[in-house]
Amino acid sequence: MGGRSELHQKNLEKIFNPQSVAIIGANKKKGTVPFDILYGILKGEFNGLILPVSPGKQHIAGIKAYKYVTDIEDAVDLGVIVFPSTVAHMALEQCGQKGIKSVVIISAGFREVGEKGVQREQQLLEIARKYDISFIGPNCLGVINTDPQVSLNASFARQMPAAGNIGFLSQSGALCTAVLDYAEAKGIGFSKFVSFGNKADISEVGLMYYLMRDEQTKVILLYLEEVSDGRALMQAARDIIRQSGKPVLIIKSGRTREGASAAASHTGSLASSDEVCDAAFEQAGIIRCENVEELFNLAIAFSYMPLPVSNRIAIITNAGGPGVLATDAAVREGLELAAFSEETARKLKKALPNTANIHNPVDVIGDATADRYEAAMEAVIQDENVDGVCVILTPQSMTDIDAIAHQVVQAAQKYKKPVYASFMGEAGVGSGIRILQENKIPHYFLPESISRVFSAAYRFGQLLRQKPEQPVEMAIPGRPEAETILRQAAAEGKNYLQESQAVQLLKAYGFPVQKGHLATSAEEAAQSAERVGFPVVLKIQSEDILHKSDVGGVRLGVKTGEEARLAYGDIVSSVQSHLPEARIQGVYVTRQIPEGTEVIIGMKRDASFGPVILFGLGGIFVEVFRDVSFRVAPLGRQEALEMIKRSRAYKVLAGARGRRLKDVDGIVDALLRLSRMSVAHPEIREMDINPLIVLDEGEGCFVADVKVFIGG
Amino acid sequence: MEIKEIKARVIKVIAEVLETEASVIGEEDNFIFDLGADSMQSLQLVAGFEEEFDIEMDEDKALEVQTVGDAVDFIAQYL
Repeated sequence: MGGRSELHQKNLEKIFNPQSVAIIGANKKKGTVPFDILYGILKGEFNGLILPVSPGKQHIAGIKAYKYVTDIEDAVDLGVIVFPSTVAHMALEQCGQKGIKSVVIISAGFREVGEKGVQREQQLLEIARKYDISFIGPNCLGVINTDPQVSLNASFARQMPAAGNIGFLSQSGALCTAVLDYAEAKGIGFSKFVSFGNKADISEVGLMYYLMRDEQTKVILLYLEEVSDGRALMQAARDIIRQSGKPVLIIKSGRTREGASAAASHTGSLASSDEVCDAAFEQAGIIRCENVEELFNLAIAFSYMPLPVSNRIAIITNAGGPGVLATDAAVREGLELAAFSEETARKLKKALPNTANIHNPVDVIGDATADRYEAAMEAVIQDENVDGVCVILTPQSMTDIDAIAHQVVQAAQKYKKPVYASFMGEAGVGSGIRILQENKIPHYFLPESISRVFSAAYRFGQLLRQKPEQPVEMAIPGRPEAETILRQAAAEGKNYLQESQAVQLLKAYGFPVQKGHLATSAEEAAQSAERVGFPVVLKIQSEDILHKSDVGGVRLGVKTGEEARLAYGDIVSSVQSHLPEARIQGVYVTRQIPEGTEVIIGMKRDASFGPVILFGLGGIFVEVFRDVSFRVAPLGRQEALEMIKRSRAYKVLAGARGRRLKDVDGIVDALLRLSRMSVAHPEIREMDINPLIVLDEGEGCFVADVKVFIGG
Repeated sequence: MEIKEIKARVIKVIAEVLETEASVIGEEDNFIFDLGADSMQSLQLVAGFEEEFDIEMDEDKALEVQTVGDAVDFIAQYL
C-alpha cells in the first residue's frame, strides 16, 4: 500500500472518529438532505463539535452557523458536503484551504447523471489531490460510527443503528436505509455503516482495509453494483482474512451474462463476468450472498457465534418434519450428522421419554417443555463428537417458548460451541425469538438456513487454517521468442494468430505441441509429413478462416507421403470452393496425436479481474455441457489441481469405471504455463487450447488445436 | 438599459428573495455557495427577475446561472 491508499487510511481515521464536524451547505428546511444530515448528527448525540456552514444563516437548530468553512476558528476534522453538485467543488476547495483532510460528499449529480457529472467528479478529484484530501462519495447516504466514544450519524438514514460488530459498506444508498430498517427489526447492530456512492476517491477496497484494523468490527459486509478493481478487491479480502480472521461477505448485483455473446473463443463465451466474479470471490475467500436475507443470516452467525471446529452438527427438535428438513439440508450442505458418544446416548435416554429419538436428530417430542430441551442440549453440546447445535422449536399448546429460549441462551453462553435456533412460526414464537435476538443467538425462520450458515462458518474456519498458496514461478526461456511472435502479429494488424504462429508461441512457453511445418505446395506437404512422422494431420492456414472444419480445411489420419500430397490438393480445392476470396498461406502439417481424453484449457482477460483461466471437458460440445471451472491468474499448483477436480471431467480423468488414470499432472503443468503466459503478455486477449489431449498417467498431454486472439 | 442599472435591480431582487442586505451582495457571489440560495429560492429568483424586468427567460438556462454578475449579463440579453 502506498500513495493515496496510505493517505486514505490515515484520513479515514478522522472520517470515522472526528472531534469536530462541519456540515457544509446545511439549511433550516426540515425534510431536506442538508437539514436531515445536521439533525441526524444532533439526534445521534455526536461526541464532538457540530459546525453548520450555511451562507445567509446566523444559526441553525440553535447552533451558530458560519458563512464559509474557512470562517470557523476551531480545527475541523471532518467536512460533510451537502451543497448541490454545482458548487460542491467550491466547498471542497475551501476544505482544502481550511486544512480539512477528511470529507464525505453527500451531494448527488455527478457521474451518475452523465458527462457533465463526470467532469464535476473529476474536478473534485483534482482538488482532493491538490490538498491531500480523502473523500467518500459523492452521491451517497453518508457514514455512521456507533462507537459510544464517537456516536456519529453523518447520514440521512432515519435512525442511528444499534452498536454491534458488523461493518457494512454499500454502493447503494437506498439499500442502506432498507438494511438499517431490517436490522433494527432483527436486533442487529453495526460497528460502522458506510454508503460510498460513486466511490470517486475512497473505494470499497480502502474501506475494507480500514475495517480490517477496526477493533469494533468482527464481520465485513459489502453490497456492490460494480467491481472497479477486481484484483485489488481480491487482495484486500485475502489480507483481511489472513491478517484479521474477519469474514468478508458480499452481495454483488448484476448476475447477467452480458458481454459473453461477443466473445470470439469458447473461453470468452463461457466466462461471463458474473461467473468470473463467482470464481474470483471464492478464490479470495469471499463469501458471495444472493440477497440481503442471506447476507444477514450469515453475518449474525459469524458475529454472534464461534466458528465450528469441524462439520458435525447435532439437531434437537420437538417436531419430526422440521427435523427431517434440517437433516436433508445438512447433508446437502456437506455437513455430517454427529454420531453421539455412548455417554451422550445414555444421558439422553435417561432424560427423555421412551418415545423420543435419542439419536441425531434428537426428537424431544411435541409435548417437550424447557426441562427436556435443557437436558438434551446439555447432553449433546458437551459431546466431543458435536461441533455445533441446531435447536428447532414448533409451538404446541404446552410448549414453554420463552423458557426454552432462555435455555438455549444459557447453553450457548456456557459452552464455546456454536448454537443456532429456529423457532418456527411468527406470532406465537415472537417473544422467544426476541429473547434469542437480545442475547445474540442467531435465529432463523427456516431450519434449513442453519445448515447453510453452519456450513459457511465451518468452511471459513477451514480456510483460516489453510496455508495460503503462492503462485507458481516457472522459468520460461522462450519468453523473448513469444514476445517477438506477438509483436509481429500486432504489427501486421492481426487480431488472432495463425495456427503456425500460435503453435510457436505455445512451444516457446514449453507447452507439449506436436512438431509441424507449413507447406505451401503438395510436394512440400508430402516432405513435411515424412519429416514429422506418420500419421499426420493437415490443416488449412488462412487468416480469413477461423473454423477450418466447416470449409473442409482439415484432414486427419494421413498415413503416407502420397496421401499427404493428395490431401493438400483436396483441402485447397475445398476451401477455394467454399470461400473463393480467402487468402491461403498454405497447409500446416503436424503429427497426429494419439487418442486420449479431450479437455479444454483457455484464458480470457476480464475487465475487472484481469486474466482468467478456464478448465473443462473439451471438444465441440464444450459450450453445451458447460462443465468448466475458472480461476483468476496467477495460479498456484493446488489451485490448478482444484480447478480440474471441480469439473465433472475429473471422474473420467481419475479412472472412472475401471479406465486407466489420465495424466492430471500434465494438465496442471499446462494450466500453470497458461497462467504464466496470460500474466506476462497482456496483449493476449483470449485463447483456447481445445482440445488438449490427455494421455494415460505419466504419458503427458498434447495440444491438438489452439486459437490465440490478441489486441483490444 | 445600462448594465449598472440592471445590476442594481438584480441585487434588489436578490436581497428581497434571500432576505439579506443588498450591501453584502457582490458581483462575484455565487447564489448557492455565497448567498445560501436553496432550490426553491433559485426558482423565486428567476420569477423575481422576470417580474422586475418584465421579461420571460428560458428557465433551464436561467437556473444554470451561478453568480450575480452572470445573472446581470443573462438578463441583459433579454432587454
